[in-house]
Amino acid sequence: MKLKVNGVERPVAAAWQNESLLSVLREQLGLTGARLSCGIGQCGACVVHVNGQPVASCVLPVSEAAGTEILTIEGLAREDASLHPLQQAWLDAAVPQCGYCQSGQIMQALALLQRIPDPDDAQITQAMNGNLCRCGTYDRIRTSIKSAALVMRETR
Amino acid sequence: MAQITRRKFLIASGWVAGGVTALVALRHRAVAVAPTIIFPDGESGATWVQIRPDGACQMFFPRIDMGQNANTGLAQIVAEELNLSIEDIQGVQPNTSQVPPLAVTAGSMSLTAFSRPMAIAAATLREQLRGLAAVHLGAPLSSILDAVGGFRTAEGQSLSYAALVNETSLVIEFDDTKSAPALYTFDSNRIKQQVGHSKTPLGTRGLVTGEPVYAADVPVAGVLFGRAIQPPVRTARMASIDTTGVAAVAGLVALVQTDDFVGVVCKTPSAVDAAMAEIEVTWDLEQPINQAEIDRLVDVDAEMAVGDLEQVLLDQSHRKTVDWAIDLRFDVQVQTHAAQEPRAAIAYFKDAGEGGHQLQIWTGTQDPWAIKRFAAMDTSLSEEDIIVYPMRLGGGFGGREHYEVERDAVRLARTVQRPVKVQWTRQDEFTASRNRPASAHRLRINCDEAGNLSDWWHGYVTGHVILARDRLPGWLLPVARLGEDMGVVKGALSPYEAPHQRVEFKDVDLPIDLGVWRSLNAAPAIFAIESAMDELAIQQGLEPVDFKLAQMGDQHPRLQHCLARVRALSLNATLPEGSGYGRGFACGIYDNRCFVAISADVQVDTATQAIRVHRLCCVQDVGMPINPGQLRAQIESNLTWSLGMALFERLEVGDNRIKSTNFDNYRIPRMADMPSVDIEIVDQPSIPPAGAGEVALIAGPPAIANAIRNATGFRALKLPISAADITAGLRGDRQVPVN
Repeated sequence: MKLKVNGVERPVAAAWQNESLLSVLREQLGLTGARLSCGIGQCGACVVHVNGQPVASCVLPVSEAAGTEILTIEGLAREDASLHPLQQAWLDAAVPQCGYCQSGQIMQALALLQRIPDPDDAQITQAMNGNLCRCGTYDRIRTSIKSAALVMRETR
Repeated sequence: MAQITRRKFLIASGWVAGGVTALVALRHRAVAVAPTIIFPDGESGATWVQIRPDGACQMFFPRIDMGQNANTGLAQIVAEELNLSIEDIQGVQPNTSQVPPLAVTAGSMSLTAFSRPMAIAAATLREQLRGLAAVHLGAPLSSILDAVGGFRTAEGQSLSYAALVNETSLVIEFDDTKSAPALYTFDSNRIKQQVGHSKTPLGTRGLVTGEPVYAADVPVAGVLFGRAIQPPVRTARMASIDTTGVAAVAGLVALVQTDDFVGVVCKTPSAVDAAMAEIEVTWDLEQPINQAEIDRLVDVDAEMAVGDLEQVLLDQSHRKTVDWAIDLRFDVQVQTHAAQEPRAAIAYFKDAGEGGHQLQIWTGTQDPWAIKRFAAMDTSLSEEDIIVYPMRLGGGFGGREHYEVERDAVRLARTVQRPVKVQWTRQDEFTASRNRPASAHRLRINCDEAGNLSDWWHGYVTGHVILARDRLPGWLLPVARLGEDMGVVKGALSPYEAPHQRVEFKDVDLPIDLGVWRSLNAAPAIFAIESAMDELAIQQGLEPVDFKLAQMGDQHPRLQHCLARVRALSLNATLPEGSGYGRGFACGIYDNRCFVAISADVQVDTATQAIRVHRLCCVQDVGMPINPGQLRAQIESNLTWSLGMALFERLEVGDNRIKSTNFDNYRIPRMADMPSVDIEIVDQPSIPPAGAGEVALIAGPPAIANAIRNATGFRALKLPISAADITAGLRGDRQVPVN
């Protein structure tokens, strides 16, 4: 079995083909940006994109992700190592407190902006409401989505 | 002797030979009975700042990062003293073998305890370098002026720090018997470049790019995966263990079982899940675990009916028999931390030759040195053979101080002699959390003929906090409990003046595990106090804010300022016309040096009684803001927690277990719950900074409760407040005052 992650084909060892996508990303491929928090797809800390859609990788069997295009937080930065506008907006607004949920927040926000380039408050809330942040950084997340959306529209 | 200790400590902690280094001894008192809270003394502990031979500035990071970003604040202080920018500062975070024990990162003490020693170290370094510059230029010391990254003279000569240091080590020691050099950080006349500015916290870039920073992220070659069964409460004993199906699980490496422990090691995470599902444990309990038992144990009225409560915090001409204007009971729920990161640890018993072992532990913990001590006791290894690598915490909130997931990893790793990673499940987190106890408060207040407070009587019963069972060694607990539990008394003394006062309490063991939760007893106690004062003002036909301001006397001008300001802020928005809208206020003091006032605007649906918080205003004064942006972040966090505490969080227990298991049945605040937020930070340039991590949570819940009172006439007597409570209260099903 192979996984295509961030544009690169990676083999998955036979013993790991019954694991969740999250476990394989973290433990076999060394991509630890997506994180385990609830384990039942209820909090968003493990969100990655599969064929452009945000999914909870903690409940997705890796076998179902074979043959898809997977994008993780590690694949967001540009080739010149500059940050994606969402990452830059998160940095500028100093969004993270403990930071544990933030990879998932950014990947969820990316999916939103790919679908709706100029979301209003209600659309942001609807898209982000399943991504929990115990530190309570929601206001800064909202602000950063709006500022990144502006940058992404201007540089399109 | 101390000299040698310190050099060894320096070299071990990442210090680079050469250049100029300032060392500052910390002479803190040991602050509590618990061995985990001892601060380093002048002999063993020091903080340091160095200009390395290459001219870079390096400093020692004494704190564990879990979202409060205290090290960033300390780096700003160092930068301010040295006329550098925070980007120029390189931090060194030590492991437990590199430095003497450092105090647990807890209690929002980081800036309070470390800001001044850090400023002294950096300023001492600066002045030493100034002396070198004077020699170098052959100019009098007084002519050497500050410049960015070095010095200059009025004649136009300049020298960078790099030009002043060389490969020879120069170490300057400073202790508090000497007078401190001029500290720029605390100079209220100085126009500051670093301190007082909202700098992005160090390490933020790694958090938005997904770098490995938490314990479970650490790549360790050949790591296996494990987990152990968590008891429903730590006094539970295993009555029976059935592991019949475990051996058949594909990928099983080992089943590890002792009298008080059962766990598995497997080749993959899913095999761990499968093996753990095959383990059936039944438990012997000392007390039944259910809500009725908790309610019975904290029944303040039953306790006060028997007589005086065990501990008296304040007794001032107390009068028992008064015709009380306010006589209300408030009940506060059990809450859990629910940090986003389920705790994780990796342990590795490395063969050190000659039958000896070295134990390495990677873990996110508020107290790495306690983990080392407990691992030594657990394994009979000497502490010298154990290294704890402290990793960033994905949320702490008081719940990450104990040898727990580390114990699981250590015991499993010892059996298999391979590195083992253990990450608790979310259910483990709920099951084994050391929760904020339930508490019940009886508040009785009366006024004199002029309408001023005459009598104040607050009795409360709560579970233990700092002195909770299993938080201290068994031999120490009975001794420690002779004194006051510092967590239980927090927030109990009100800021209001009355000639006759009594505050008394009793703390008890509950059938669930208890411990330190953000703000400790302060949020529950102040919910009761601020709700009662609000009700009294309404009874007297007075504006609650006016009444509270008047009843503080002249003892708390900083609190009065916060409360008056938050009222002004709240008036920037008009409450919509029509029924169902209300505004409430509350205020409080945390740790004698942190002041906060909050207003809440709520809407209670007139048909369904559904509660919506539309707006929160907060004015907070914790002394001088080192990093206003991060201070604001802590307030935002506390306001979010206020919503959860006021409106929906409650740990469900019953059937002899913890019934809350995950985020689908323990609701924490979400984006859709968020109100608009208006925050004002009071700048106190001449008052040293105090911690902000737990402050606003003390006033948020009562502000929301008081707003609901204002909107509906319903006085919330228990948390969390539900729509059903309001419906029942307004119908008169329960004895609640209604306008």
